[in-house]
Amino acid sequence: MGILVKASGLTKKYGDLVAVAGIDFEIREGECFGFLGPNGAGKTTTVRMIHCVSPVTSGILTVGGMPSGINNRGLKMITGVIPQEINLDNDLTVQENLIIFARFFDIGRREAKARIAELLRFVELEAKAGSKISDLSTGMKRRLLIARALINRPRLIVADEPTTGLDPQARHLIWQRLRQLKTQGTTLVLTTQYMEEAQQLCDRIVVMYQGRILKEGTPASLVEGEIGREVVEVRVPPEDDAKILGHLAGYDFAHERVGDTLYFYCREGHGLMKKLLELDLPNTLNRPATLEDVFLKLTGRSLHE
Amino acid sequence: MSLSYRIAYVFLRNLYSYKRFIVPTFLVSLVEPLFYLVTFGIGMGAYMGAFGGQPYLHFLVPGVLATAAMMSSSFECLYGTYIKIVHEKVYDSLIATPVSADEAVAGDIAWASFRGLVSGSLMMGVALVMGVAPASLWRAALLIVFLVFIGVLFGSLAMIVTSVAPSFDFFSYYTELVVTPMFFFSGVFFPLENFPGWMKTLAEFLPLTHAVRISRAVFTGQPAPGLGWSLAGLAALAAVVFTVSIRMMRKRLIK
Repeated sequence: MGILVKASGLTKKYGDLVAVAGIDFEIREGECFGFLGPNGAGKTTTVRMIHCVSPVTSGILTVGGMPSGINNRGLKMITGVIPQEINLDNDLTVQENLIIFARFFDIGRREAKARIAELLRFVELEAKAGSKISDLSTGMKRRLLIARALINRPRLIVADEPTTGLDPQARHLIWQRLRQLKTQGTTLVLTTQYMEEAQQLCDRIVVMYQGRILKEGTPASLVEGEIGREVVEVRVPPEDDAKILGHLAGYDFAHERVGDTLYFYCREGHGLMKKLLELDLPNTLNRPATLEDVFLKLTGRSLHE
Repeated sequence: MSLSYRIAYVFLRNLYSYKRFIVPTFLVSLVEPLFYLVTFGIGMGAYMGAFGGQPYLHFLVPGVLATAAMMSSSFECLYGTYIKIVHEKVYDSLIATPVSADEAVAGDIAWASFRGLVSGSLMMGVALVMGVAPASLWRAALLIVFLVFIGVLFGSLAMIVTSVAPSFDFFSYYTELVVTPMFFFSGVFFPLENFPGWMKTLAEFLPLTHAVRISRAVFTGQPAPGLGWSLAGLAALAAVVFTVSIRMMRKRLIK
């Protein structure tokens, strides 16, 4: 598979503030590539440069071999954007929103009509074609944003936190649709703060923090490499740590104390759990390791705002 | 500047959005000129008698036409554009498509100019009903073209203000300190000849003074001194203001 997006030394500064601090990555054609990170990590800034609405300060960024730039109409023609903020045209109906957007891409009326019917079916909004935007639920609006992003049959879709503020049903429907697009060969670039979303959708991810990329890999390899397979959580006061750790001597694990909880990261939690139960501790939990553990380990557990 | 036929798409988007408000805005555009013309033309005009050899209403109409176009286009590029940038995020979605920021701004100025044209034309229609008509049909046509030009000029000027506006309140400075003085001191309601010398000079720096002069000359068919200069000055100003407005808006939109 070819490389669709390539960045090297990509940097974005706003005055003295460095939003993206010289990062390198490659996004392959047909994959779903995820940018993960806490607020202010530089995810959105990075994807805004990819879809040519924010100029690159320094470094190299190419999409489909062309340098990304705010006047690069060629790239905008083959890109679809699902924005973080719902920016549908409130004065227009669902159908009109799509008709106008089709015009922006030089798509004629007749072709647009056929495409719109197809897209509204795809996002299950065919009954809402004549509705005003204000009559739609948040989930419907987000689905319409997906339909709008697809109007020009993009090769690359940039989705910036596409499921923020949605209930589980609406979120799963959007995940279904995004996966469907990927099977049709579309390349997906996703930013998210939801680790489950990244695990559900992404082939490869990078974890960003303070404008830098901390780690890169498949979700599974990151979990395996950073955390292990399983996590055991014990909610005990810090005074008990020494006693518990002593009791577990000889077992292979990494541990971390955060607030009221002692975390054990290991390949297999069953044996550890059994041993811990001998101590008759309350509130002890054995679960599979997730991307969220990786995320918190890499970016720290304190608040970032 | 990156401008193309895509300006028309932005205009089209505004037309779609306008459809829902077409009746109320037309009503407002009709009622306002009626008030002006009735109050000043008929009400006050009755006390003035002949005004430079013609009824006062005839003096008033050409200036009010130009003012209407100025007001509509200004407000569209102040409040209308600000809402589209900050509240409705229309610009964000536009610049993610092949439509450039420059085209988005130019499309909005074109739209403001159209709104100015509608206001001016409605005003002309009301005046017509009251028995005040341009000297000939082709002069009426020329006035229509001139209204479009006024819209581009004042729309662009307002766009510059919007490009640096931190909030809605900011617009009061521009409307109270620039638009309103122009409204009163540009020869709309009385000939500038009555001003003392320095005020006359000052008035020559107001773009509306020249717009009113041209509008009146075209409307009545009576040539005015310095008409060529007024036209050349306004054309030059419009070119500069249009270019600057696009550059400044680009700064606001592209970060």
